[in-house]
Amino acid sequence: MPLFYGLLVGVAMGWILQRARASSPAMIAKALRLEDLTIIKFMALTIAVGMVLTAGLALVAPMHFDIKPTYAVGVLVGGLVFGVGFALGGYCPGTCIVGAAEGRRDAVVTIIGGLFGALVFTLTFDALKPILITPLDFGRITLPELLHLPRLLVAVVVGAVFVAVVRWLPTVRRVG
Amino acid sequence: MSTTSPRSLPEWARLAILFGALGALSILLVAPIGVSGTYPRAIGEVLRLVAPAVAAQNAYLEKVGRFLKPESMLVIGLVIGAFLAARTGRAPRAKATEPIHASETTNGRRYLNTFVGGFLIVFGARIAGGCTSGHVISGITQLSMSGFLFAAGVFATGLLTARLIRRGGY
Repeated sequence: MPLFYGLLVGVAMGWILQRARASSPAMIAKALRLEDLTIIKFMALTIAVGMVLTAGLALVAPMHFDIKPTYAVGVLVGGLVFGVGFALGGYCPGTCIVGAAEGRRDAVVTIIGGLFGALVFTLTFDALKPILITPLDFGRITLPELLHLPRLLVAVVVGAVFVAVVRWLPTVRRVG
Repeated sequence: MSTTSPRSLPEWARLAILFGALGALSILLVAPIGVSGTYPRAIGEVLRLVAPAVAAQNAYLEKVGRFLKPESMLVIGLVIGAFLAARTGRAPRAKATEPIHASETTNGRRYLNTFVGGFLIVFGARIAGGCTSGHVISGITQLSMSGFLFAAGVFATGLLTARLIRRGGY
């Protein structure tokens, strides 16, 4: 059953990302140049809705939470490396799959590059682990735990901040 | 967005509400959404075929596990969903190659940038243990500190790189 649910979630997610134009590298490039913030607003509103619903559901149902550990060096360095690739190619590991499915050849090349990246990481893991993964590991920590506040309260406040920023920021900047 | 009635919301906002609900539903039913772990799992299956001795000793392949997982099914689902959305939508068909930088005057130059870009996003995501889906969307949805930290890193170099590329005329 989890395999089937995974497939269904993927179908819905692929449909949403395609229709939101998240798989367009030009939309990503414009977002990172701060010319058109549509994709950033889409992400922020997605997270705001998701965090409030998740925290609410957690009060009435058992949830399959999976908090990733905060090993500060590796998580930050990984994000910094990711950001360079994101700006260079205009794809992330999910949107290149979406792009390939709608006939984008540069997305297929991104997937091939990604598979090489996964291969090199797999083969160098033992050498990278003591430098990046082991140091400053704070474990699976969340903001509500850090603040000693209820999850739903934190979700509503952070979600409201995200929605306020989305509403306040202009979507498209007039150029020239 | 001067009014709050759902009909007046722009399309990206309606899709974001759907995606947020989908993320919560996924955590209720299976696990948080994530994509980048599928890349090393796919590589692992290839290595087991072509270099079984290397694969058997690799600590990382042991850590990420075999390919048959809900997360891999999600990636297969992405292909199906995106294909259906593209075929049924009113938007014009996506360009086979879409140049985004001034230097991308030929397909070859565009492919070089996307190959290196693809390498860096998956290599970076594997260092951090997640990507835009697993760390940014699902991580921050669960209010995980790792999600906030990863997102800060991505936007720091993402905004800087985009600016340097344009300033440098690359």
